[in-house]
Amino acid sequence: MTRYWIAAAAICGAAACRQPKLGDTLPGLTTAQRAQFDSGLVIFDSTFTPQVGLGPLFNASGCGECHEDPVTGGGGDEVEHHAAVFHPERAGAMCDELADKGGPVFQDSLTPALHAALGIDREPRPPDATVVAERSTPDVFGFGLLDAVPDSVILSYADPNDTNHDGISGRPNRFFDGRLGRFGRKALVPALREFNDGAFSAEIGITNPSVPVEGTVGPDSLPAGTDPASDPEIGARALVLTDAFVRLLAPPAPLKQSREAQHGRDVFAQVGCTGCHIPTLTTGDNPIAALRHKTVAAYTDLLLHDMGAELGAGDICFGLATASEFRTEPLMGLRFATRFMHNGRATTPQQAVEMHAGEGARARDLFAALPAADRAALLAFLKTL
Amino acid sequence: MHRVTWLSLASFVVPVLLAAQQPTAPHDSVRGAIRAVDTRARTLEVTTGVGLALRVVRLQVPAAVPITDQKGAQSAPINLTALKPGDVIRVSFGSRPTGFVAYTIERLGRMEAGVP
Repeated sequence: MTRYWIAAAAICGAAACRQPKLGDTLPGLTTAQRAQFDSGLVIFDSTFTPQVGLGPLFNASGCGECHEDPVTGGGGDEVEHHAAVFHPERAGAMCDELADKGGPVFQDSLTPALHAALGIDREPRPPDATVVAERSTPDVFGFGLLDAVPDSVILSYADPNDTNHDGISGRPNRFFDGRLGRFGRKALVPALREFNDGAFSAEIGITNPSVPVEGTVGPDSLPAGTDPASDPEIGARALVLTDAFVRLLAPPAPLKQSREAQHGRDVFAQVGCTGCHIPTLTTGDNPIAALRHKTVAAYTDLLLHDMGAELGAGDICFGLATASEFRTEPLMGLRFATRFMHNGRATTPQQAVEMHAGEGARARDLFAALPAADRAALLAFLKTL
Repeated sequence: MHRVTWLSLASFVVPVLLAAQQPTAPHDSVRGAIRAVDTRARTLEVTTGVGLALRVVRLQVPAAVPITDQKGAQSAPINLTALKPGDVIRVSFGSRPTGFVAYTIERLGRMEAGVP
């Protein structure tokens, strides 16, 4: 574990030398990369209208409408809805993401034209959905670095059968084509570019070269005349630039730690939080030098962990993930978050710790049993991330 | 004059005849996980997508469609009955008035085991 702290200290040391502003780029970009980032920011912050492709179903009229706090690329207080059906009896296909019925993302808004045609106020949820789950809006700081972590690094932390008997058994999720997943609260999506391209469709209703066809309204096609913009509604260049903005967005540099926070960092490890919230990940080779062989204080293993029946009761299966399995949430930028956990139900880091169960139960219980000063120190440490 | 007429006519007819003789070119291909197989109706449902924009592709599988199992560089023919939910497949397919029709199917592995 010592190597993690040395690496984290090196990051903090570097941060002390140069504190990038929140929302700034990764250091070391070329002029061309910086220009792509700036152009991508404009698209990310754009507001789409029905005339240029918004909807007809959507959750937001632009990326920046939700990813906005405290700066563009940050989190938001919006909560959206995902639904699925869990079929434990179906070997190999236990999860039905309702992709043929408008799922898994069920949009909460629609254009006036679609409202006039169908008289609905949101996409209807299929009656056979096992559960409709809530999803809060995370920040996307540092996601380019997470994308650049080799699969082999993530898989090196997997211990699906808990062979080391530490009560933690991280396992990978897989996309439907078999590739390792890492993005999203259930780690379904393998690559940042795909997450971004898909979000234009699933969140804003913007067709694009990667998703050239509009989604359905539940299982049904869009009524004629409700989608005035021709497909694709944005081009390949817009996708490239938006991806560049997200990819090159720097993670918030951890703050210089007080003596209390340094103690809290040690307590964080002692109670077992680092079993899943791996302090640092290292990227591999990458065509972008700013992403190549970098150490990032991500505090995640990007794997699925069973978080217990209570959290699972209100959530969906997704790919290989069961309802109670969630990807370890990255903690970089935690100090800027105002809502915590996948559904935003926790309003403080302490509440979030207390909601951990399943594989996180032991660490939660050890945290609860700590002397008050140690608990305060751990929370002080989290406020430096 | 006659020669020009025949050449003109041929320039229209020959491509049409050639096209009619050739197998239909693949309309598209998809790689995803089998969601459902109906061996009696010879249909497949494949889950695919980009990010969280997921789609289900429904395919008819005519009896003559080659189905193979890829194991490394090796490829072995298999029957539709060998395909199971959770298999990762690559399908080339085309569009017909009755829906999408598979041209070739390759089984690449199992979703839970991972496929590079």
